[in-house]
Formats: sequence, C-alpha cells, structure tokens
Amino acid sequence: MCRPWIVVAFCCLGQLCADQSLKPQIAAPQLAMNNPTLTTVALEKPFCVFDRSMHPNKSYTIYLYAMKESASAMSSLVTDGSSKPLDSTFQQTNGGQLRPYKAGVFQVPSCASPPRLVDAGDVSKVSDVLKQYLFRVGDDGTCLRDPNFLDVCNPPLAPGTTYRFKYVLIDSTEGIVKDQTLWSDPIKTRRVKIPLQVDTWPGRRSAAMFVITSILSVLLFLLLAGILAAVSLAVRRPEGPSAETRCTPQTTQPSDPRAQLGSE
Amino acid sequence: MCGIALTAECIYFVSDPHGLYPLLEATENDDIYAAAWIGIFVGFALFALSILGIIGIIKADRTLLLVYIILMLITFAFEMASCITAATHRDFLTPNLFLKQMLERYQKAEPANNNDKWMTEGVTKTWDKLMLQNHCCGVLGPSDWQEYTSAFRDTHNDADFPWPRKCCAMDAQGLPVNLDGCKLGVPGYYNSNGCYDAISGPVNTHAWGVAWFGFAILCWTFCVLLGTMFYWSGIEY
Repeated sequence: MCRPWIVVAFCCLGQLCADQSLKPQIAAPQLAMNNPTLTTVALEKPFCVFDRSMHPNKSYTIYLYAMKESASAMSSLVTDGSSKPLDSTFQQTNGGQLRPYKAGVFQVPSCASPPRLVDAGDVSKVSDVLKQYLFRVGDDGTCLRDPNFLDVCNPPLAPGTTYRFKYVLIDSTEGIVKDQTLWSDPIKTRRVKIPLQVDTWPGRRSAAMFVITSILSVLLFLLLAGILAAVSLAVRRPEGPSAETRCTPQTTQPSDPRAQLGSE
Repeated sequence: MCGIALTAECIYFVSDPHGLYPLLEATENDDIYAAAWIGIFVGFALFALSILGIIGIIKADRTLLLVYIILMLITFAFEMASCITAATHRDFLTPNLFLKQMLERYQKAEPANNNDKWMTEGVTKTWDKLMLQNHCCGVLGPSDWQEYTSAFRDTHNDADFPWPRKCCAMDAQGLPVNLDGCKLGVPGYYNSNGCYDAISGPVNTHAWGVAWFGFAILCWTFCVLLGTMFYWSGIEY
C-alpha cells in the first residue's frame, strides 16, 4: 500500500530535481548554418542551466547522452539504480537504438562570461568561440575503428534518423548524477537523395533557337529558289537572242540568209 | 572581312579561355564547341570565296560566278548548321545537368576505363579551379553536397567533409582559414554561393556569340548572293 505513494513521491522529487523548462537546444542557426548535417548535430552547451544545483567549492562535469527516438519506448534512463550515470557506449547500445549512450564529456560552461557570438567573425577567436559555445555530436569519424581509443567515442550518427539528447550534471569527486535536463525535442539528421533523381530535361526550347532556325531556313529556301530561277532563265534565254541575230542580218544582207535557209 | 571576323571569333571560343571544356565534354554535350569549329572553317571559306567572287565580277565570267554561287550555297548551309547547333545545344546546359555531372564525377575514386578516368580528372580539376577562383561551392550552393549522395561522399565522410575543402575560405597559403568554421557553416569561413553563374556566363557568351554572329553574317551573305545571282543572270555570253 505504501509503495505507490513512495513511487509517486520519488517521481515528484525527480521532476523537481530535473530542470523543468530547459532542454538541449540546437546551436544558433545564424552561427552554424550547416546544422544538422547528414551525420552530425551541433548542440548549444548548457549555459546557466545547472547553476542552481552547483555548489561553489565542488567540481562538476557534464555528460551528453544521445539516443534514437525509437529507443524512448524501451528505455530512456541515464542512471543506473544508484544514481550513477550510465556508462554506455555507441557500440553497446547499437548506435542509441536500445538505450541512450554517452556521446560527450566536457567542463561546465561558464555562465558568468559566455562566449560572444559576434566574435566568430574574428579569425583568431573563432576556434575558441566555437569550442566554448557548442558541442558537435558525431564529430569523430575514426574512433570506432581505432582499438586504442579509450576516451568517449562520438561517432557519426545515422542519416535520416531522429535523435534526442540530454545533458547530465555529474559531481566529479563522487561520480553521481546531480541534475539533468529534459530530453531535447526530436532532431532529425538530413536525408539524402541519389544523383539519378536529378532531372536534366531542359524543358522548352528558347525563343532564340526558334527565331534562328526559322529565319535561316527561309533564307536558304529563297536562295535555292533564286539559283533555280536564275539557271532556268539562263537555259531558256539562248533561244531568244539567236532568233534575233537570224532576223536582223536579213535587212542588210538579203542573199546570204536565204542561202542559209535553203541549205537548212 | 566577315569571314575573317567569324574565324577570329570562333578561334577565341575554341581556345576556351575559361577552361570550361572538360565540364561540357563530360556531359557529352559539347556541341557548342563543334559549332565553333565549323565556324572557323566557314569563316575561312567565306574569305577565300569572296576573293573568287571579286575576280569573277571583275572578269564578268559566268562559269566562275556560277562556281562561286554554288560554293557559297554550300558554305551557307554549313554555317546555318553551326548556328542552329549552337542555339539548340545551349538550351541543354541547365543547372541540373552540371549538378548531376558534378555529383557523379567529382573526385570519383574508381573510374571504369581510360575515357572515364580522363573525364573524371577533367571535371575534378575544373571544379577545383572554379571553386577557388570564384569563391563558390557546388552548382546552386554548398547544400548540393548535403542534399545528394555523390562520388565524393563515398570516399569522404560527412563529419569531416560536409563539402569539399575547396569550398572553405582559403588563406594565402591555400589552406582553410578555420576548418571547424567551414565544417559547421559559420558565415565567412565557407563559400556560400553556387558556381552556376560562373559557368553559365562564359558558356552563354560562347553559344550566343557563335549563333547570333553567324546569323548576322548569313543575312548579309544572303543579300550578297541574291545580288550576285541577279548579276549573273544579267551577264550575256
């Protein structure tokens, strides 16, 4: 009889501990325009999110957990029974399909002096700004294949898949979970099309092509007609001038043509 | 004179000052170059025939002028073919054609045969040069590399190479100014325009230059030939 009450109380306590209104956000689009890509997602680090849960004299780290949205039906807990963070890797969870995996570990970002996004325009400061402001999930393409890799592996995500992320505040000395955000809104990586789908049909012909073709065809036709007319005129005309030459000498030399006519 | 001008213009186009021929060769749509080659020979023929015609008129020789007219008609037909080819094939050169070819050939790893290898190298070098000189990326924009799979994507993973390195803003040594900025798409560290304008500009000039200049010459040639025919039919033996 008491157990349901304990469960409800624990749940309420858990809700109070988790920050109600803050979820991991995608990095500012005006800074990172290529986001999310096929296999990576750049998330804004949790600025001023966990400040209420942090004691000034203790040291903390932040873990980032990622999972496919389909896994939320099976298991979305990032702690094991004793409030220690789940130590799962990409391979163990089948890329986040079975349960969340730890994608990254970093220091708590400074709330007092956050990086200024306008500094990204400065070549000397941009690396620092990017490093302090965002975390790129899926950045490391080689750690899966490297047997000597001992750090947290952050391999590329799957294209066309929806993922959710969560930040967890860990006390470094005790190694237990102090606070966690809610799961982020679903973020989908890009889906690709194949080049064969690109349609290269040129569509309608341009007007210029019609003009050139039609006018030139007409001109060629006129020229051919002209040459035929000129040649046929030239063929017919030899009968005309030779008849005249026969006629005119009759007046001057009457005897010779008669002799010619007689011989013909 | 028109003949010489046509020859000169077509030689200029065939010499390919912008280096875009490999792209057209790989699309197998390089007929505007064929039109320019025909233009070179037609221009030369026009020049030679005009000398013949002038001699024929000075001598008032019917046979010579008949030969001149017939040869000019043949030349007219060739030039007409060249103009129509240039105008028609210009219509085929759409952005999608270059996009498909870029995706399929740029940095293709295993060409099937020597012809394929030649075309792949041509396309890769031309695109690299285009992207560096014109500060552009892809045909319509760098998102071309993200929206489609490509031969490039087969050999370069998306995390390290969302688009080719040549799309990044380069410093004086030819290295990207900031690689992370380029990969993430931070404005100023990658080229966000497409290269289609840089391609279509010279190609259009080429095609329209061959087509319209040839058309103008043919109109003038038409008048000249009509006049010659009248004169020829007026010559008496």
